[in-house]
Amino acid sequence: MTITPVILSSTVADDEPPVSLWRDAWHRLLRNKLAVAGLAVVILLAFVAVFGPWLTPYDFLTQDLNARNQAPSLAHLFGTDDLGRDVFSRVVYGTRTAFVVAIVVTAIAVVIGVALGAMAGFFGGMFDRIVMWFTDMTMSVPNLLLVVVINASLKTPITAWMEARYQATLNPFYRETIWVDFLLVFGSMALISWPPYARLVRAQVLSIRGRPYVTAARALGLTNRLILMRYIVPNAIGPLIVSVSAGLGTAMVLESAFSFLGVGVNPPTPSWGNMISDGLRVWQHYPHLLAAPAAVLGLATVAFSFLGDGLNDALNPRGSK
Amino acid sequence: MTAPADNKPLLDVRGLTIEIDTRRGPAVIVDGINLTVGKGETVGVVGESGCGKSLTMLSLVRLLPNKIRVKSGTAEFAGRDLLKMSKSELRQVRGGKIGFVFQDPMTSLNPVMRIGDQLCEPLIYHRNMSKADARERAIELLRLVGIPGPEQRIEAYPHELSGGMRQRVMIAIGLACDPELLIADEPTTALDVTIQAQIVDLVKDLRKKLNMSVVWITHDLALIAGLVDRVAVLYAGTVVEDAPVNELFARPTHPYTRGLLASIPKLSDERASRLSSIGGTPPEPGRRPKGCPFAPRCALAESVCHERVPVLEPVAGSTGHRVACFVAQRQMMEAA
Ligand SMILES: Nc1ncnc2c1ncn2[C@@H]1O[C@H](COP(=O)(O)OP(=O)(O)O)[C@@H](O)[C@H]1O
Ligand code: SF4
Ligand SMILES: [Mg+2]
Repeated sequence: MTITPVILSSTVADDEPPVSLWRDAWHRLLRNKLAVAGLAVVILLAFVAVFGPWLTPYDFLTQDLNARNQAPSLAHLFGTDDLGRDVFSRVVYGTRTAFVVAIVVTAIAVVIGVALGAMAGFFGGMFDRIVMWFTDMTMSVPNLLLVVVINASLKTPITAWMEARYQATLNPFYRETIWVDFLLVFGSMALISWPPYARLVRAQVLSIRGRPYVTAARALGLTNRLILMRYIVPNAIGPLIVSVSAGLGTAMVLESAFSFLGVGVNPPTPSWGNMISDGLRVWQHYPHLLAAPAAVLGLATVAFSFLGDGLNDALNPRGSK
Repeated sequence: MTAPADNKPLLDVRGLTIEIDTRRGPAVIVDGINLTVGKGETVGVVGESGCGKSLTMLSLVRLLPNKIRVKSGTAEFAGRDLLKMSKSELRQVRGGKIGFVFQDPMTSLNPVMRIGDQLCEPLIYHRNMSKADARERAIELLRLVGIPGPEQRIEAYPHELSGGMRQRVMIAIGLACDPELLIADEPTTALDVTIQAQIVDLVKDLRKKLNMSVVWITHDLALIAGLVDRVAVLYAGTVVEDAPVNELFARPTHPYTRGLLASIPKLSDERASRLSSIGGTPPEPGRRPKGCPFAPRCALAESVCHERVPVLEPVAGSTGHRVACFVAQRQMMEAA
């Protein structure tokens, strides 16, 4: 048989240049100006969140009662608040709060959502119905109500227990009530954030499990676990990345909203939300106290949303053409 | 026939009936198919689109879609009934003993996995190979199916390959674990005419080298004339004629087969549509006629055709040739 030479000349010619899927997507992302701007802002904010405390000239807690409510100046870029604390330093530290909360909450929500959604879509039947019932129920409870209830019912007993432990052991760890704040914020926000991921992944899996390459994988005798992990989940990941990017922005807004309402991160730990809440009370006299955190929150939200849209186009080349 | 008469066939499908749930209740799609494939034999399964070829093959490894199931019948493979074996035994058959090549190479490969990984997976799973050994075998397989530069190609993603190349990769995956039977479901339908012939030649070559049995499904009888030993003609979920390939071309007896052969385009008129000489369309599931399923389209139909279902019976005066048609049976008897 002289097949090989024939193929060499006839089929290699129409091969596309070898570029990997992800590199392809990366190139498409870089061509999208808004997405690149979004990505730049996100990277900048992430940098600030990580290295912020070493970049600011002041500590976010240091009060200078001689320099209260100052307007922005070279010494205090965003001015000072009613306790004479540097607003720039507080916004920078608030970035760290926002990122920590957003990343932890989104990570928990994605793990729960992907696991439940993928199994529901793949196995179907009773398991699917139970998961979807759970999802719908969680989504039908107003977010704020759930968070307020969780805070109200858990915060006091936990804080009291910590205080009792401190009295008994004198271990300073139990004095750090800020961890209670964070745990409650993480827990309650994760609880309300996973259902959209579960729905998205389930819908993806339902459409992917009927595709020919999944039938082909089954015809190879591969196990369900292998098919789910290597054939279905990786193909569902594009829309998930998009939704995670948007979800990080949403989580930041949510954290700010809860902190604004006093059920999130509590002062003195800076959060954009509780800074906006403080600033709102005096905005007629000291607008910079409101403007600085609000502007950064807005910037972050817009950046994540642009990045999400850009990723959507980049990862779905067929959809964008 | 290639297989000696006393030898049990590798695959022996009997009375396979498949039904689908519709709003009006269950409807039969595949109606009592009988099909045998001997060891080392290549069988072509021919029929119009929608006649149940793919479902028949998927049912053998129990991969029917939702709402479609086997109602009755047996499918013995190497002496074991595929339709009754345990899940774990079945998983050893899938990929390990029966390899599949599907119709559309564009969608039958996992787009986010390198082809090397897709080739290695069944080797690691069925043959307990180490990653390094599987990789070496994968390169060897790619070379076997005529892919140039297999050491580099193994790193490629499916979208980096042309359609013909992808189908070669699919064949390599189907062959990975040295299956005793390769089922190719219209493997060339999605490809250019020149590439089609290359794939046919490739399988012809491989089947001899690897001494395996092949079932090649197609709606294009001309394409496989030089490849198969025997042909089973399917119409509306039943085998209407079954004969050695030369016998079938020399003496087609069923009116449907004759129509198929008459509609093979001559070299001069390639654009002629394939089934132009047979008017009408096959019956929909749930709307099967009472007698012969081909009766509504058959020029030779008599009153008995609308009353009773013809069964597949040996044709007088020839060996290994069977047909399910009252009129053809009578004509051949008279001729003999
Ligand atoms: N997933 C499915 N759902 C409903 N009907 C189907 C499905 N797959 C096949 N069918 C029906 O079963 C019949 C046989 O299909 P198939 O075996 O795919 O035909 P072939 O492979 O011969 O073209 C067709 O009439 C088709 O409409
Ligand atoms: S049995 Fe009758 S209707 Fe059926 S193919 Fe033969 S002649 Fe035609
Ligand atoms: Mg088919």
